[in-house]
Amino acid sequence: MKITVKLIGPFVQLFGFSEKELDVPEGTTADDLAGFVSIDRSRPKIVTRNGRAVVPGEGLADGDRVVISPIYSGG
Amino acid sequence: MNGWTGQFLRVNLTAKTFKKEPFSEDFARKWIGGRGFAVKILFDELAPGIDPLGPDNKFIVALGPIAGIPAPNTGKAVVAGKSPSTGGYGDGNLGTRVAEQLRKAGYDALIVEGRAAGPTMLYIEDDKVEFLPAGEVWGKGTYATNDWIYAKYGKGVGVLNIGQAGENLVRYAVVRSLEGRAGGRTGMGAVMGSKLLKAVVVKGTKPIPQADPAGMKKVGMDDLREVHQIDKKAGWSIQSTNGVLAWCNEVAALPVRNFRKTHHPDAWKVDGERLNNARIATYGCPNCTMRCGITIHDDEGRESELDYENVGLLGPNLEIFDLAQLGSLNYLCDDYGIDTMSGGCVLSFYADAIDHGAVAGDYRFNDAAGSKKLLGLIARREGEIGNILAEGSLRAARKFGHGSEAYAMQVKGLEVAAYNCKFIPGMALAFGVSPIGAHHKESWVITFELKQTSRESYGPEKAQKVIDLQRIRGGLFEYIVSCRFPWIEVGWSLENYPKYFKLVSGLDWTLDDFWTISDRIYSMIKLFWLREYPRTDRKLDYPPAVWFDPSNADTEGPIAGKILEYDKYDGLLQHYYDLRGYDRRGIPTKATLERLGLAAEGRAAEKFGALT
Repeated sequence: MKITVKLIGPFVQLFGFSEKELDVPEGTTADDLAGFVSIDRSRPKIVTRNGRAVVPGEGLADGDRVVISPIYSGG
Repeated sequence: MNGWTGQFLRVNLTAKTFKKEPFSEDFARKWIGGRGFAVKILFDELAPGIDPLGPDNKFIVALGPIAGIPAPNTGKAVVAGKSPSTGGYGDGNLGTRVAEQLRKAGYDALIVEGRAAGPTMLYIEDDKVEFLPAGEVWGKGTYATNDWIYAKYGKGVGVLNIGQAGENLVRYAVVRSLEGRAGGRTGMGAVMGSKLLKAVVVKGTKPIPQADPAGMKKVGMDDLREVHQIDKKAGWSIQSTNGVLAWCNEVAALPVRNFRKTHHPDAWKVDGERLNNARIATYGCPNCTMRCGITIHDDEGRESELDYENVGLLGPNLEIFDLAQLGSLNYLCDDYGIDTMSGGCVLSFYADAIDHGAVAGDYRFNDAAGSKKLLGLIARREGEIGNILAEGSLRAARKFGHGSEAYAMQVKGLEVAAYNCKFIPGMALAFGVSPIGAHHKESWVITFELKQTSRESYGPEKAQKVIDLQRIRGGLFEYIVSCRFPWIEVGWSLENYPKYFKLVSGLDWTLDDFWTISDRIYSMIKLFWLREYPRTDRKLDYPPAVWFDPSNADTEGPIAGKILEYDKYDGLLQHYYDLRGYDRRGIPTKATLERLGLAAEGRAAEKFGALT
């Protein structure tokens, strides 16, 4: 299935892209996706799926937009 | 007394007099500094009901025990007074060399009273105070004024100054310092202007009293290097505060078109990535480890220093998605000394009011040229519209009528920062209960709301989180006086601050000790408001009505059809009051005041408004 991944803030420079489409196997979770784009699982981050924060283990569907961001704290 | 210089400098502009005033160790321990000193002094010395733009108001510059000491991000000062925008307690902080220089001159706070006979620059050098003419720069912007001061004294002095907006009493005029710093969006620039005080210049040469100066120097320098390294690894400074813009757009929290919309397909054009690409220079405050000021060329080739709040509110909020154009608006705000947040919200409100037929006019969204022109009219209070908009969005709405107050994006008269809370209940509460009017500096709970709780929740966990953050952000960092960024953005442990405090003061305090101070100061600010608004009620802690309006709900995107709900918001507000020990009006109860050591202040306030 095709998933659009968007990185936020310094993740763009640190991981080398801003936004791209990935072809991932059925059953891929949002947590798995962070691994696909080389973001350390232990790194503090907030992952949203179609604008809403994901819960652990949440599965993805074809056409989803997943955004991976550092935890901003409002300056 | 280690940790404090132990004295204030009180200056009277009317009489051209000054005196040093010692304060006790008990006073220092109870109020610590910064916002704590400011609210206590203003509560004790201002008669309720005075005109914030009259000579009876006082302009205070207050520092804290670690302000100006070499350690992570300590180059900050608090400026305070009765707010011309809200009529309540007002303050703000800004990066400035005044933090170090005023303390080296021997003072923990400067209290300015009265009104000068003509435009004045106050020059303070240790025990010397001079009242110098500033007519040469009266009418000039903050950049020219800063250059004029640097040409006289060099760049090492501490400087606070105002632009035309402060001179002309624009109610949201700020105080400016260095090349790009601003603070006091509650109208502290107008308070300076009302006193004909164009600038304050400070030079100090004395040591700052510290319990363990050698230990503080070593720890401070080591930590400066360490935080810098942590930031380099985390990469926060690459996009700085504007990194959050793209995220706000994704989660429907971006202010677009006077907050009518929460996201926009063109937002990427002004996001952190684009800002970083356009960077020509980077600025920070004294002792900064993670400089946040990204400077670009604006559409007239001038240097404009941007961060998220001014990009958000002068860009998407006005439907301007061109960095150079919004950079130009930001430059003008900075030069005139207009708060960029309130400035952006006032302009967007005006465009919205025209859109909705509340007032006639040819200004519109996505109108960079019109925006530039209006900022000039506001700064000079030129013409009818310049004068009306210089009053801020709430007063302008009351002038326009036709229900426009519902979409004047403000709380208590202070415009909201760049987070669209159409469906973010906890952040809406944070704006609602911010003690100076809507400001993100007090509490910022959006990521907590989305990651740790349900966005839909109006539960007590959100009220508790708002309080927890207020204790740190609006509390600790505003009275110890230091930038919160090392803690909030790259995880520098809060435990470092009691450590610094012990090195300078010798006092071995825990964070819990500090939270009591924070709660005391928040309650003290509430008493200040009670005196000014004796018939206050909980509606004063409500966010803008448009966020509750079903017709304003998004029609697509992550929060389509969702808005804040009145009953639920009121319940969330009550959770906050209960956890704080406030009554149903949002005023601390007598028992709370007693617990926080404010019984005497409560009795003083009770002469004006009832306590329960």
